[in-house]
Amino acid sequence: MLYQEFNDFFDVARKRHIIFFYVGYFSQHVVAAISETIKARLDTAGAAGPTRRRIFSSFVEMSQNIMHYSSDTLTPPQSDQGQMRRGSFCIGMKDDSFFLLCANPVERASEDRIRSRLEPLHSMTMEEIKSAYKKALRDETPADSKGAGLGFLTMARDASEPLEFEFVHEAHDPDTTVFCIKAII
Amino acid sequence: MESIFIAASPASPEIDFRFDQHTLSIKGESYPENAAAFYGPLIERVRAYLAAHRGAAITVNVSLAYFNSSSTKMLFTFFEALNDAAIHGSQVRLNWYHDEDDDTILEFGQELRDDFGALEFHDHAVSST
Repeated sequence: MLYQEFNDFFDVARKRHIIFFYVGYFSQHVVAAISETIKARLDTAGAAGPTRRRIFSSFVEMSQNIMHYSSDTLTPPQSDQGQMRRGSFCIGMKDDSFFLLCANPVERASEDRIRSRLEPLHSMTMEEIKSAYKKALRDETPADSKGAGLGFLTMARDASEPLEFEFVHEAHDPDTTVFCIKAII
Repeated sequence: MESIFIAASPASPEIDFRFDQHTLSIKGESYPENAAAFYGPLIERVRAYLAAHRGAAITVNVSLAYFNSSSTKMLFTFFEALNDAAIHGSQVRLNWYHDEDDDTILEFGQELRDDFGALEFHDHAVSST
């Protein structure tokens, strides 16, 4: 009976070819621990070296985005050390590709800013993404970034198709919106 | 000037800066929570060292299997400081180690070569097997 409870749950993931998922709070320790698991899991899933590296890179950028920017936080919102913030992350396979999907709540007020970062990437070629990346590497770090302002460009560079994203408004919570982003590798 | 040694952690590289031997080495993986907090003080120490040793022959060994976007930015700043020193008379040899099929790190090395022409750049593709 107990195992059946798990199986009902796992079957859904199995049917969708999910090879890893995590829902909960992300801290740096969690990111490092999941990294270890993902590397081992990708080895057994038979992903080629460069694919494995791109998946790993996208995982780190996504999970650190949750850790830095999710509005559901156990640690003070202004903090940039020892943070613990909530989000969801999964890696799956579809046809011959891997996909990474992540979601976390953000302040509704941040929606336009995030959108303005991601929308231009959608219509860019890989060459244009690489040259935008090179430019951002040399620019001053944006004031609202806890990293380098390179995270989305890094994900776009590692992906084989344009990044997909959406914002989902939930009626019970007018101050936040759920930010979802998907990368296909 | 006192050397710096920081052991590797799962998400931060080993730092082995032997200023007395003019050898600076970084090895491992780099995705700390706050790359500016990790690299900022190191870059300051390196700048002070470079200023105090104009004209030195310096060897820099970088062997990173992975670095995240915020580490990339800090590494760029680190190489910028080395390049400035090389423009002002130091001789800086950069040994850039990367896995032979890692395009991302190879390309970042090419960026460094393009931007920081005063560094003596040596690419070392390492076999992963």
